[in-house]
Amino acid sequence: MLRYIAKRILFFIPTLVIITVIGFVISVNAPGDPVERMMTAASSGGEIGSQSRSQVEQKKYWKQKLGLDLPVFYFSLEKLSYPDTLYKIYDKNEREALCRLLDQHGNWEQISTYYNRVNTLYLSLVAFNPAVFNLEQYDKNVVTENFNTIKFEALSLKSAWQQPVIYSKITSVRKLIGGYIFLKEFQDELDSVRAAYQNIMSHETKWKSYFPVIYFYGNNQYHRWLFGDGGIYSNGLLRGDFGTSYQTKDSVSKTIFSRIGWSLFFTVFSIIIAYLVSIPLGVKAARNRGGRFDRISSVILFGLYSLPNFFVAILLLMLFANPDVLDIFPASGVKPNEGFDEDATIFQKIRLTLPHLIIPMICYSYSSFAFLSRIMRGSVIENIGLDYIRTARAKGLTEKAVVWKHAFKNSLLPIITIFAAVFPAAVGGSVILETIFTIPGMGLEAYNAITTQNYPMIIAVLTITSVFTLVGYLVSDILYAAVDPRISYS
Amino acid sequence: MEEEIKDKEFSFSKYAWKQFRINKPAMWSLRLLGFLIVLALLSPIIANDKPVYCKYKGETLFPAVSFYTKAEIRNPDEKLDIIQYDIADWKHMDLESAWWPLCAYVPYKSDFNNADYISPWGAQVFTDDKGETIAIPLKFRHWLGTNKKGEDVLSGLIHGTKISLTIGVFSMMLASFIGVFLGALAGYFGDKRLQTTRAKFWLLIIGTFVAYFYAFLVRGTILQDALSTSGFRFFVQLLISVVIFIGIIYLFNLFSKIFNRVPFLNKKVFVPVDMLVSRSVEILNSLPKLILIISLSVIAKPSVWNIVLIIGLTNWTDIARLTRAEFLRTSQLDYVQAGKSLGLSEFRIIFRHALPNSIAPAFIAIAFGIAGAILIESGLSFLGIGVAADSVTWGSLLSAARENFNAWWLVLFPGGAIFLTVTMYNLIGEGLRDALDPRLKR
Repeated sequence: MLRYIAKRILFFIPTLVIITVIGFVISVNAPGDPVERMMTAASSGGEIGSQSRSQVEQKKYWKQKLGLDLPVFYFSLEKLSYPDTLYKIYDKNEREALCRLLDQHGNWEQISTYYNRVNTLYLSLVAFNPAVFNLEQYDKNVVTENFNTIKFEALSLKSAWQQPVIYSKITSVRKLIGGYIFLKEFQDELDSVRAAYQNIMSHETKWKSYFPVIYFYGNNQYHRWLFGDGGIYSNGLLRGDFGTSYQTKDSVSKTIFSRIGWSLFFTVFSIIIAYLVSIPLGVKAARNRGGRFDRISSVILFGLYSLPNFFVAILLLMLFANPDVLDIFPASGVKPNEGFDEDATIFQKIRLTLPHLIIPMICYSYSSFAFLSRIMRGSVIENIGLDYIRTARAKGLTEKAVVWKHAFKNSLLPIITIFAAVFPAAVGGSVILETIFTIPGMGLEAYNAITTQNYPMIIAVLTITSVFTLVGYLVSDILYAAVDPRISYS
Repeated sequence: MEEEIKDKEFSFSKYAWKQFRINKPAMWSLRLLGFLIVLALLSPIIANDKPVYCKYKGETLFPAVSFYTKAEIRNPDEKLDIIQYDIADWKHMDLESAWWPLCAYVPYKSDFNNADYISPWGAQVFTDDKGETIAIPLKFRHWLGTNKKGEDVLSGLIHGTKISLTIGVFSMMLASFIGVFLGALAGYFGDKRLQTTRAKFWLLIIGTFVAYFYAFLVRGTILQDALSTSGFRFFVQLLISVVIFIGIIYLFNLFSKIFNRVPFLNKKVFVPVDMLVSRSVEILNSLPKLILIISLSVIAKPSVWNIVLIIGLTNWTDIARLTRAEFLRTSQLDYVQAGKSLGLSEFRIIFRHALPNSIAPAFIAIAFGIAGAILIESGLSFLGIGVAADSVTWGSLLSAARENFNAWWLVLFPGGAIFLTVTMYNLIGEGLRDALDPRLKR
């Protein structure tokens, strides 16, 4: 048995790896720029076409902290013309432009020279301050405006790739520069940009775009996400570090672990309740098969099974948490709004908390209890039809003993395996129910993360709930073996 | 039973249909499904803010069903009157005669006169042509009330039917394609029956990468540009890419015949199809579906078809499992062996001979799967995720009730619609199970 469990746990590993890959793929493909997200709170809107020094540094810091300065995965299939360092260009538009240029011309050497020259031109333009010159002969506002246009055009040159667009941008910048003597030094730089671009045209190696190459990267985002970088910015998923929340800039793990309690409480208790109700109900229905109790309970259970839990939740709230109908239960939260008294005993706390839990608990448990009862009924009926029950009856055992001592244990088998299906459903259902009842659990956190596009949190919830589900499968397998002596896993 | 056997045209499908017909709840559900499909198809003429037929200044118009977006009407004084169908205020136009749809509203337009939760039998008002507020005419009544913004609930329900049915049916269609295909392969071949040579095995793996490279990476920019111009162009380019992909794989398949001459490369290897499929089913099952779907729907643009895609790609496991189990049995049967000894191709045996005899359990899973998909969709739109924010669905109607628990019509009608549809599919599933699998009959 122990060996079986050990084997099963070893089996977790490939499954977990794939789950983390799925989570990782989702977070990499998520729309929006995480660095921008992190910085929006801090920055207060800079001038168009320029970035202050601190902003550049901040950007670099967040890039490193989030691990975005690394290649994405262990390997990548690329065209031969692409360099293996393309990931270092972070800006999506610039990278896109470079890829387009590479697809058109295929010569990285020349293209990188061109890109570097455009970059130096832009950086020296940013560093340049026209105010130090004697501008008396010009209208000051016009100069500032024109200079900003130059900077903007130079910036947009970095993300341009169509030939006419590049030429027209160079020409327009040239025209503007030509109007001012003090900008003369940029004329040469612009000429060198133009020369570099023409150089790309004259040294085309288009064939390179049609040959594949695979690049391998030892240190990459996925690796760091999983294993951490030695504790500088991240400890890695394996050590329980899920990264930084985009919303609060706090550790995701800390938030999750403070929230996990309520989710587990509701999930586990609702399953216990469901089992406690459904087992006797299923047995009773099966014993009176075709009788009135059986028929009525079958219809009701079938109905309950098809009822969406959010509908039931709203319905119950409408009836029992509504001042205009019946105001028995509070509508949301898991604690009284005003909090507990300081010297409240544990019993007082429970008494005050209990009303908050009743409606949610009903919503959590009714669908799995309907499902389980139906399975239990079918299973008991099937067992009662078998030979050993006939033998037991022939021996003269009472009906009670036949059902509870003989049929019952064997009928439990299917609903124990069902545990593996009920558990993930309960975990998943918690997103909707926790949102409706504002229960501060993982589901509500996941919902908030989704509405604010806080991907690290979403991925963390996805991973943790998957682990729970895997554990659920394991538990149901072990229980299965414990109940049924015919099953041995050795 | 004897009669059936005597009948020369006895077939399993006829027998199953006969069994299904006995099941009264299932038959009623089937009728209800037919009704919902008609409702969804006819929704433009059942719930619309434009009349189906009207006569205006001597011209006969069919605004609700017209292909045109506007009408030009020549006045007696030779001035042109242009009516834009979707912005014209039909209810206040001087129409000579008009047939109004049963519900004279569309879900996403507010009726400001009746905003702020008007109940189905509450006092509803209408501004008439003279600008006076009068009691609403019967033909313009909000039969099932309005929500806070004054949007009609009945119209939302009718248009929501379309979305729910589309998502339920099409997502499970995708899921059943994947599930039946993979399940069939896994069950038929198992781990030991799909033999190939070393050369072919490795060449096909390399070929997949190469095909991916030429079909999608090299053509990446073309696909991207096509996507940003039009859906049709993207489809055409995608088709070209797929053709290239298949072509390259085929080419590698031809190559492998040459390499097969090398004795070392001609050694037989088994492809563990069953293991691969079963493992992926296991992995997908261990991901909490709702949370996975929610995470995926965050990266996809909110739209009905993306939800179809996401639900379809995540919900094929049950179908695959059942089809696999069925194929495990079928692949041992005599007629499959006979087909093999006749030299039929594996492909032909699987999809022409074995599949029709193994598909029945998949139908049951599909019926239950549609119920599940509708539940997932309504749950998503209840949370405000998934389909576009401006489209009205049953889930989004229901979620509006959270702001006002007294608006019972916002709870009961959409919730009832979801409940009814889900029950309907579940009953059809039960009926199918009883009809298709006589062994299970209790």
